[in-house]
Amino acid sequence: MSKTSLPPPENLPMRLTRDTVSEGFKKRVAELSGQNPDSCYQCGNCSSGCPLACEMNILPSRMMRLVQLGQEETVLESGTIWICASCFQCTVRCPRGIDIQSVMDALRQIALDLGTDHFGPDQVTPEQAATVPQPGLVSLYRKLST
Amino acid sequence: MVKVAYYPGCALKDRSSHLDASARDAAERLGFQLDELESWTCCGAVPPVSRERVMNLVASSRILKNTRDSGRDLLVTICDFCYNTLKRTNHRIRKDEITRRRINTYLAQEKPERDYIEETASPWTDYAGEVRVMHLMEYLRDVTGYDEMRKRLSRPLEGLKLAPYYGCVMLRPENEIGLDDPEDPSIIEGFIEALGARVVNYPYRTECCGSYLSVSDPDVSTRLSYKILSSAAGKGADAVILSCPLCFHNLDSRQEAISRVFPGFKPIPVFYFTQLLSLAMGGDRDRQGFSRHHVDVSGVVDSIFAEKERQ
Repeated sequence: MSKTSLPPPENLPMRLTRDTVSEGFKKRVAELSGQNPDSCYQCGNCSSGCPLACEMNILPSRMMRLVQLGQEETVLESGTIWICASCFQCTVRCPRGIDIQSVMDALRQIALDLGTDHFGPDQVTPEQAATVPQPGLVSLYRKLST
Repeated sequence: MVKVAYYPGCALKDRSSHLDASARDAAERLGFQLDELESWTCCGAVPPVSRERVMNLVASSRILKNTRDSGRDLLVTICDFCYNTLKRTNHRIRKDEITRRRINTYLAQEKPERDYIEETASPWTDYAGEVRVMHLMEYLRDVTGYDEMRKRLSRPLEGLKLAPYYGCVMLRPENEIGLDDPEDPSIIEGFIEALGARVVNYPYRTECCGSYLSVSDPDVSTRLSYKILSSAAGKGADAVILSCPLCFHNLDSRQEAISRVFPGFKPIPVFYFTQLLSLAMGGDRDRQGFSRHHVDVSGVVDSIFAEKERQ
């Protein structure tokens, strides 16, 4: 799993120029997810409720901000999109009504469409293949591979 | 006996077949039959995020359309994943005309050949979300009724302290599922009380167990499951009760790994809601598949039978 993180504090504030902002990215995320990333006002409710937050290198609320700022590379290289378990806790708690889980789904889809599966059937151990109930395997393939 | 259209789903038909058996047994004791659909496929486990990927909704739509075409307007499932997928597919078909038209275009192409030959074949009608999808727990609450269940108890689970575990997909996203309050649900609590048992309150009942991460990142799932189980046990629960085959797998079979990572962790039995329902309605303990559990449940099951004998 890639461990890209935010630029170290000494590099902040981030340089936002035509070269570092991908305008098309935010639009694509909005199109796929049906959500408006600009609605997010950074309250942090999603990050405080997320059961996987402590496993993430970039918190959900920061992911939202990075999407607003068109930081495509940082977002798609983060481990966050692959550790999100799609539990909808963030979606339920967002005071702005953003379906953040769908934004995560959209980010996964954009990353997968670039051509690399994050996790494929060949990585499932024989023991897992024989014991994990099908919903676990099918949802895993659907979320983490093309 | 009333027949209710029933979609078991892959897990309940295969590696969790003991849970399917307990559900059928419990339903018959309550006066209705879970009538399995004549033919069905995997529902797809998760609906796709975007409108563009309508292909991923075809399997679940076909299941719903076949249910309608067989003359039934209610479909019951006992797996949270299937429930979530079928219900959200239905929701999209009802709310989004473009999705509805695109899905029906796919479905119309696979119209069975005999329909063209037989004169009696009914004309094609687009599937527009006519079927109502219900979780068995929802059926028990809204159709059978918890009061009626209480009246039919032959082996009340008195004295048993149960921690309800909801997980994620049974309740969320609430605007498409609408089963209960996503933050403060009460459907499993009502179910526990209807069986005569006591509810244990603890803070992690709607927290995720890691879902499919138990395959891709097992250690993460171990940590999440530990939080849930140790919290329930810490509040005095004798067992955890839940309604999702994947949560069942994670919370039951992960306990060995949890014990290795967190010394001092005491294993706690996990039950599928249908198993306790069947037992409370007088079901046989040998037909619940308890031997397939990773954590020994005999202590709790013995106490259920001992309680009955004492009365």
